[in-house]
Amino acid sequence: EEEDEEYFNSKELPNYACKYCGIHEPNCVVMCNCCKKWFCNGRGNTSGSHIINHLVRAKHKEVTLHKDGPLGETILECYSCGVRNVFVLGFIPAKADSVVVLLCRQPCAAQNSLKDMNWDQDQWKPLITDRCFLTWLVKIPSEQEQLRARQISAQQINKLEELWKDNVDATFQDLERPGVDEEPQQVLLRYEDGYQYQNIFGPLVKLEADYDKRLKESQTQENIEVRWDVGLNKKTIAYFTLAKTDGDMKLMHGDELRLRYVGEMHKSWAGVGHVIKVPDNYGEDIGIELKNGNGAPTDCNSNFVVDFIWKSTSFDRMQLALRKFAVDDTSVSAYIYHRLLGHEVEEVLFRCHLPKHFSAPNLPDLNRSQVYAVKHALQRPLSLIQGPPGTGKTVTSATIVYQLVKQNGGPVLVCAPSNTAVDQLTEKIHKTNLKVVRLCAKSREAIDSPVSFLALHNQIRKMEANTELQKLQQLKDETGELSSVDEKRYRMLKKLAEKELLEAADVICCTCVGAGDPRLVRLKFHSILIDESMQATEPECMVPVVLGVKQLILVGDHCQLGPVVMCKKAARAGLSQSLFERLVVLGIRPFRLEVQYRMHPELSRFPSNFFYEGSLQNGVCADERKLNKIDFPWPISDRPMFFHVTQGQEEIAGSGTSYLNRTEAANVEKIATRFLRSGVKPEQIGVITPYEGQRAYLVQYMQYQGSLHSKNYQEIEIASVDAFQGREKDIIIMSCVRSNEHQGIGFLNDPRRLNVALTRAKYGIIIVGNPKVLSKQPLWNHLLSFYKEQKVLVEGPLTNLKESLIQFAKPKKLTN
Amino acid sequence: VSESLAIPSGPRKVECPEDEDFRNALDKMVSENIQERMREPVKAGNVDISVPVVLKSNKKTYEQLQDTPETERNKIGFVLMVRKGNKLQYKNFEADINSELAQNLRDQELAQKEE
Ligand SMILES: [Zn+2]
Ligand SMILES: [Zn+2]
Ligand SMILES: [Zn+2]
Repeated sequence: EEEDEEYFNSKELPNYACKYCGIHEPNCVVMCNCCKKWFCNGRGNTSGSHIINHLVRAKHKEVTLHKDGPLGETILECYSCGVRNVFVLGFIPAKADSVVVLLCRQPCAAQNSLKDMNWDQDQWKPLITDRCFLTWLVKIPSEQEQLRARQISAQQINKLEELWKDNVDATFQDLERPGVDEEPQQVLLRYEDGYQYQNIFGPLVKLEADYDKRLKESQTQENIEVRWDVGLNKKTIAYFTLAKTDGDMKLMHGDELRLRYVGEMHKSWAGVGHVIKVPDNYGEDIGIELKNGNGAPTDCNSNFVVDFIWKSTSFDRMQLALRKFAVDDTSVSAYIYHRLLGHEVEEVLFRCHLPKHFSAPNLPDLNRSQVYAVKHALQRPLSLIQGPPGTGKTVTSATIVYQLVKQNGGPVLVCAPSNTAVDQLTEKIHKTNLKVVRLCAKSREAIDSPVSFLALHNQIRKMEANTELQKLQQLKDETGELSSVDEKRYRMLKKLAEKELLEAADVICCTCVGAGDPRLVRLKFHSILIDESMQATEPECMVPVVLGVKQLILVGDHCQLGPVVMCKKAARAGLSQSLFERLVVLGIRPFRLEVQYRMHPELSRFPSNFFYEGSLQNGVCADERKLNKIDFPWPISDRPMFFHVTQGQEEIAGSGTSYLNRTEAANVEKIATRFLRSGVKPEQIGVITPYEGQRAYLVQYMQYQGSLHSKNYQEIEIASVDAFQGREKDIIIMSCVRSNEHQGIGFLNDPRRLNVALTRAKYGIIIVGNPKVLSKQPLWNHLLSFYKEQKVLVEGPLTNLKESLIQFAKPKKLTN
Repeated sequence: VSESLAIPSGPRKVECPEDEDFRNALDKMVSENIQERMREPVKAGNVDISVPVVLKSNKKTYEQLQDTPETERNKIGFVLMVRKGNKLQYKNFEADINSELAQNLRDQELAQKEE
């Protein structure tokens, strides 16, 4: 046997052997033009052929057929425009001849003149079908051949692709090298001590940081055209458009980019700036404000390169927090320390003086469950407040903060994972007349928000007592810089002023990661409230927590979406579980707010029953959620909801999902148009769809194919479920982007995502999808049955909706 | 039991999160790439793509193709038109008789006959 093995190892495969499985039948392999590696057209044990697996994972797009293959050496490209992107390529047969030609879907296959030339335009088919190349381009290796080849798994494929990013010559054998394969340690429910806690979370934060770094640094773009401008603050601004990135990365305000000039008209130059404008519905422009505009080639407009600058700050702060939690016994009280680690500690109540009235000035009066939530939080060193959708979480949080200040004095630290959530809460707390400071990252100081006037950097400018600082600031604003002596003096004075303001504040608000700001290190916070805490990873939550907390209030809802973790490895190891969720699993009962004020009672029924054990009560009645004067054909008049049965065209299966989605997109457009025609404003409507691809398609479809003027559709927000979390719309239309029979329904089987999707609408919800496919999922089976019972599972045109008699599939067993 | 029956007939598909991620990523890539082309209007080339007469003349009908020897019966000949620079190339290939391509040709011929 050993000899056999040696023989096998010594026998070299030809260079065109599939880099995954070793199959080397010239008929069956294709070369990736980008990395010059060959792959076969067999799927092995995965759901797509090896070449498609490679193209997708490596984001490569062009291929060449083997010279001994069915068509000889051929680069696949559009006959008309020459594009080589195989994901947009397809073919058209002649109407009555056995001739075919390769054409891209847009625009070449859509040209009107094709018909006159005897091509059968309607028969355009993609080159990739059912996740393989068409067999007349590349054969599929026989089943037996595939069985004899290396049985590479999807996990191994992933790892190999990862290895290739660092070393293009890595081979399958390298996968077996020690260390490569190691999965990080899983998070636990309970931890021995802070050191073990740090030892488990530290590596996960590192993984996520590495992933983020690689992603950002791989995004350099060339041939950028720049338009120059000068801002009100006299700083140089550069506007430009980036080619669409693969969608994994979204630019955010405050991100840093480096702009470089590589042309001949000016000496080479590079400058760094913060993003102050991101692409939106109105334009694709990105704007950056240069840190230092001196010497920028403002008379040149082309030949620029843009690099993304990765910053480790947030990850460093998490690591620091983990270490502090382990080694510094003043970082949190002993009680909190043991509770967070999951040790057996009895629940204690503070003996505190409870106020007579629980409401706070200028905020709405609280309902009973909100009052109890405030009481609950005030009395405990550690409490979880669960706020289902529309239950007044922010008002409750603001009231808790107000009462905490009244009880113990300040400062109370208030955090949330996102800037938007922090701003919302800051606004509410400010209403109670407490002294609030909003601490922003330096890179975000230029960004406007409803609470800009509360930002530390703006409050400093208004401090009247400090005339010297004001003068220096004025000088700096006017001239752009100060002499080094003045600059030193300016910084010193500014620091003092910041300290003074922070120390005098009742409440300091910032993001979780922002709590690691050096300006806060010397402060101790006895009480900390973290809102939307289910959206923060555990190490992120720890950044504020280790600032000395003795009383910690986590507000959130573990039945809604959790934190976004980009690195799959880290996510699988448990980084995507929030602290809130782990504490719930540990047996700490969250106190639940129970009255919802958002949804029409009919809309809250299913979410209440399915996600909250039927405990949600309605604080609004049907009449308050009636769209007055809006004539819309709801199948049941007092039930503003329905499931619009939309059966995609099964004839194009496999990778061509975008075609399947066209039917849904068309229906979404019809529904939206009907609402607009009857007087609903576009900004009242939100369209939710789980895939970015469908989102982009819908935006385009409405603009170009919508039956009203394209302007009407611009303010309709079309976004993923995740983008709608924490927000509401009057009307929600949801496009499920149903998939074919062989495929799971992806994101949609996450109950938390479904919960968020179903609870955004105040007045009405319409789901567009295919029940046949969706009903295989137990979760969706429940939802569909509910819609059916309510007689709102319908089909047909909007003008004539009829109850659908479609049979559901038997659901698979509920897993995980 | 014969050997061929004893061994498995082909690789078994293994469901796993990595595979599901792949499927989602593929769907995303397809729709995004198409979207991108719709957004930044690429001009269709000015190339003549009419079906060349040369190919028309030696065209066989579906029925004629049926007259070929039995071994070749399950295949049907096609020509792929390719452009290399300014030169036209015709590449012959065979499609399976049951393939959509062949079916489509037959449907077209039937339709023409009925007219
Ligand atoms: Zn490649
Ligand atoms: Zn292979
Ligand atoms: Zn083209």
